[in-house]
Amino acid sequence: MSARVDRTLLAGLLAAALLLAAADVLEVSAKAKLKPAREEELLYYPSGMFVREAALGYETAAADIAWLRGIQYYGEHRLTDQKYDMIGHVMEIVTTLDPHFEQPYVFGAFVLAQELRQPERGLDLLERGFRANPDDWRFAFEIGFLHYVCRHDYPAAGRYFTLASRMPGHADYAERFAAFTHERAGNRDLAVLLWKRVLATGNPYMQDVARRELRILGAI
Amino acid sequence: MRRVLAIARNTLREVARERVALVLAIFGLGIVVASQALSPLALGEGRKVVVDFGLAGSTLVSILLAIVLGSSLLHKEIERKTVYAILAKPVRREEFLAGKFLGLWAATAALLLGMTAILLAVVALSYGAAPWGVLGAVSLSLLELGIVTAIVVLFSAFTTPVLTAFFALAAAAAGHFAEDLLYFVGRGAPGVAKAATEGVYWILPHLELYNARALAVHNLPIGGERMAFALCYGLLYIGAVLALAGTIFRHREFR
Repeated sequence: MSARVDRTLLAGLLAAALLLAAADVLEVSAKAKLKPAREEELLYYPSGMFVREAALGYETAAADIAWLRGIQYYGEHRLTDQKYDMIGHVMEIVTTLDPHFEQPYVFGAFVLAQELRQPERGLDLLERGFRANPDDWRFAFEIGFLHYVCRHDYPAAGRYFTLASRMPGHADYAERFAAFTHERAGNRDLAVLLWKRVLATGNPYMQDVARRELRILGAI
Repeated sequence: MRRVLAIARNTLREVARERVALVLAIFGLGIVVASQALSPLALGEGRKVVVDFGLAGSTLVSILLAIVLGSSLLHKEIERKTVYAILAKPVRREEFLAGKFLGLWAATAALLLGMTAILLAVVALSYGAAPWGVLGAVSLSLLELGIVTAIVVLFSAFTTPVLTAFFALAAAAAGHFAEDLLYFVGRGAPGVAKAATEGVYWILPHLELYNARALAVHNLPIGGERMAFALCYGLLYIGAVLALAGTIFRHREFR
């Protein structure tokens, strides 16, 4: 009896393992065809407001899932065609779900401005973040950064760096950049310093772009 | 009160027999794996992601458990006919229901607190500092759990376990939409529809009041006023639901 039970148990486990392996093999073989469908899926992502309603009170966790999906999207395209058309849409969803989540504003604006060459859209995203977090000096600093390195609008950059340096909790470098911008607007050395600040962030993708820009400026 | 507490203790023991400790073990393992796996993927936001998932997961799991365990709790007593033995004693039906509610709430609350302790420990060990700010959000979640448990007890007083689970789940989901109902009514709904929607709004539990997870994750204050209001509203709502459940249960005929 016990031997029979053991045999049926083994047979059941074996059948389950075989079926699972078959499903995995099927997935691996279909992956190439499925990938474009996954890309298209992002096109049909609903607006952030809709996802917010559908999240039923779990919007910050939903924001994290969208954030991880956005990073995955960026990482995949960075290795292939370097087209990031959907990044703005994904970051809009993340920031609507969690308006206090700073990284998606900064990273999204950075990609829009540096990779898509659309600094205005990047600034829009950061300004939305600043409106949602008016006490956070980092938004003022990042807006100043985009004005300086992407739009070369030095007076605007100076204004935002100064604003950041007057906000509570600001880092020392906000004051330094505010002073430098007023003294040496348009100076290459200041752009180098700003890019070096990006190297100090924990975001490896942004660090890569900073290294590229520093190479262009002949600083490394 | 002694009789209510005795039934609550018994219910707590009954729920503990359903291997809820296994849920804690699975949750703990999930959080540990998530903290290790998500950190490199989240571009420096690993801690935030783990705290978010931990808070959302622990609340969702405890609410679902309250619905799943609670929907069959009363039905089992009637099925096994143990309810006759209890009600033959000097125990009022309302006391029996209140005991069931307290026992189930205590069990699921203990589970939620256990999961919170695991979350605090894993985040402290993985990222250096425990996210103590989540305790405010968890205390609101405990009240939300109480409201959902009371709703489960209400439906289980007169309907089948499957329908109880369905209605409770629907009420818990709709409770998060309550504010939106009022918003849409304000945007020009016709007279009858407006009155009906407003009626539904006042009946539904206002569960968004208990959602402070976003504030907790970003270390923003919840505010004493909101906590006090949530506590008073929650206790009154639970009282109202249990009063209705007691009335229905008192008039129920067992076959």
